[in-house]
Amino acid sequence: MADASIKKNSDIFVVSPEKLRRQRAAKFIGEGFLLAIASFVAVVVLFIFYFVAVDAVPFFQERGFAEFFTSTGWYPADDPGEFGALAIIYGSAMVTIGSALIAVPLGIAAAICLSDVLPFTVRQYAKPVIEMLAAIPSVAYGFFALVIFAPLLQNFGGTILMWAWWLIAGPFVLLAVIVIADVLAARVATESKERSLRTVLTLLFGIAAIGVLYGVGRTLSAIEILSGTNALNVSIILSFMALPTIVSVSEDSLQAVGRELREGSYALGATRAETIVKTILPAASSGILAAVILGIMRALGETMVVWMASGNSSQIPDPWFNYLESIRTLTATIAGDMGEADQVTGSARYHVLFAMGLLLLIFSFISNFISERIVVRQRKILAGE
Amino acid sequence: MELGTRKILDRSFTAVGVTSIVLMALALLVVIVPIFRGGIAALYFDGTIEHRKLQYDQFGKGDPDELSVQIAETDRHRSEAYRFLDAFEREMEGMDAETAGNYRPGFRKVKEILTHLLGPLPGEQEPILLRFQYGRTRWEKAEETLHDLLFVTKWDYSNPSEMAKEYFVPRSDEFAGTALAGLFPYVEDNLRNMLLPEPTFYWGFITNKSLDAHIFGGIWAEIQGTFFLAVGAMLFAFPLGVIAAIYFTEYAKDNFFTSMLRSANSTLAGVPSIVFGLFGLAFFINTIKVSESKSVLAGSLTLAIMILPTIIRAAEEAILSVPKTYKEASLGLGSTKWRTIMTVILPAALPGIITGGIISLGRAAGETAPIIFTAAVSVGATIGIADVFTSPTPALSWNIYNLASEHEAANEIRHVQYGMVLALISIVLLLNLSAILLRARISKKLKG
Repeated sequence: MADASIKKNSDIFVVSPEKLRRQRAAKFIGEGFLLAIASFVAVVVLFIFYFVAVDAVPFFQERGFAEFFTSTGWYPADDPGEFGALAIIYGSAMVTIGSALIAVPLGIAAAICLSDVLPFTVRQYAKPVIEMLAAIPSVAYGFFALVIFAPLLQNFGGTILMWAWWLIAGPFVLLAVIVIADVLAARVATESKERSLRTVLTLLFGIAAIGVLYGVGRTLSAIEILSGTNALNVSIILSFMALPTIVSVSEDSLQAVGRELREGSYALGATRAETIVKTILPAASSGILAAVILGIMRALGETMVVWMASGNSSQIPDPWFNYLESIRTLTATIAGDMGEADQVTGSARYHVLFAMGLLLLIFSFISNFISERIVVRQRKILAGE
Repeated sequence: MELGTRKILDRSFTAVGVTSIVLMALALLVVIVPIFRGGIAALYFDGTIEHRKLQYDQFGKGDPDELSVQIAETDRHRSEAYRFLDAFEREMEGMDAETAGNYRPGFRKVKEILTHLLGPLPGEQEPILLRFQYGRTRWEKAEETLHDLLFVTKWDYSNPSEMAKEYFVPRSDEFAGTALAGLFPYVEDNLRNMLLPEPTFYWGFITNKSLDAHIFGGIWAEIQGTFFLAVGAMLFAFPLGVIAAIYFTEYAKDNFFTSMLRSANSTLAGVPSIVFGLFGLAFFINTIKVSESKSVLAGSLTLAIMILPTIIRAAEEAILSVPKTYKEASLGLGSTKWRTIMTVILPAALPGIITGGIISLGRAAGETAPIIFTAAVSVGATIGIADVFTSPTPALSWNIYNLASEHEAANEIRHVQYGMVLALISIVLLLNLSAILLRARISKKLKG
């Protein structure tokens, strides 16, 4: 009995060639299995590219590139149909840039605030709030944009624009006045006169600035928005959706900047603002750039909000920067037109939507590639390699 | 620069940062509060007698005796109103053809609005569509309809440079001096007696199926469809993701191939959601034909590849956060690498992995774009578990779009849309909240 158990246990340590082979085989098979599963993602990526491209190529074969990229005539239901996607691509670019203009400054400011300004206890609660913002499904944002925000814009558009201008631009303009007066006074006057000159300059510039603020505000309040479902509405809502990405990735890269840089800057007598602007931001700039690219991609790839709230009219607004007109985007076109396209036989209309999908896919691939390179490079620089 | 200015700049810098955080919190509130308020109105409202009738006829809920008493009471008040109609009809017969012809369109309109308000008029044959068989089921809708009855909406086009303005003219002016004139003040005074509104908690909104394309009834089919799609996606993505994460953290060597796999992962995470929909259509349905056309299975598979990168990343992070000493102790006791992973590392990382899974589940439940072409239908019945391989399903996310943008009576059924959005947001946010709480508990535990 005892002998048997000893013998059985000692088997573990005595490695016969046959057992060794079996162990190696098991190890090989096991690791191969794990590798196969891990490669699954790569296979999926290749499949996505392949299957989207396969259905997109017939369109370009049949129609060439020129019409798709240069014409604004989008009449897919006609026979033979017109498939000019220029206005649609332009619409996508418009809402992407619009949301970036709102989300990037706000996001970077919030990231700086989270990483360097707020005490830890506040940060603990602020982070989940931002995560919540990211968790709300896009269709809920779309519903909000369509049912709640669009009527608001339509009825009180001018007033909303005016207050937004006063509240956002106001403090910045006044701050600029103080700084400009300070710099000018320091340059022009001798030390004894400087203080009084600065006061005078500040007052003068201040009055001028308030005039400008008020004038622009009045002009904005006179604007009438004919339709609430427009590029502005979509840009604002998309910026909500891009913000969490921008904030969390930027914050990570700000946190990655080492303590010694901050402490060195403080030791030289810089204020916190100067430390952040002149030391930390440059060090983290590439990471922030990556965050911005990722955030922009979220806005470009978003479907439901643009579909529900953009108005879906395939035209280039007049003038070209008019954010108060309806537009149409790539994603919304794919989502909206596929229902009418013949999905079985594969008409030109079916294939053109895959061409748009391919375009989006290529954009996302390139921007992802760039942002990844940037992050890798920053990590290396910060590690001192 | 003067020290004072530098200080001002510093302070204002802090202010900008804090404001941006406050703005984001505000954005969250601005989105959530109206949706929450509107959503509550789908569950809790002043239900009229028509609502209780509908509940009893269609779902067999309610007390028949009390209902018949109430119906008798409302009928008593309604018959008075109907008497005005009869009297006017008799009066019209006495008029000359031209005067009667002038009154006729207006009278038809009055009858139509009254049908909306109180259900089919006595003597009319029962309409086939459910939406015409009942009057107003909600008090606030009844009040809107009452306004329609009392006033004619007109538009003022007098100023060509501005948009037309809406104004109201009392409808009773049209019928001044006739027998019908008495109807308007009577209905206005007795609407409560005709409809008997009572505050109602309508739990059926969640558990009932929808009737007549969501004009009545609840959203059970959508909730069930969302559940099937999200859970189906997890069944595929979760095991794959965890195994891939084990490979990346424990076995992958630091070489070109591994870095390629990692970039593939982040590429997949960045693919726009609508492209997943295209891929699902082209691959799962048109190429390998997992089902004849749209199905829950195709939708789940599409969602699964969409959430796979998130799961892999979360699982990797969870595994990496397990203290190294655990692993060293296990290896030091003589167990193999595989055994260490299975008995020491995975159990320790499991809460973190599950957190990632819960967040991905929420994401799968909320996504719309990937299921448009692969799984979602606008109006459908609940499906059994056996049908998931072949039949499509309604789902919350898709039906919110559908009801808000494409439904013929989109403005009439706002409360249903709000209710659906609230249901979806609650599901997703509850999942996220539980993940956050779980994560907080884990980090406390790992700290000791």
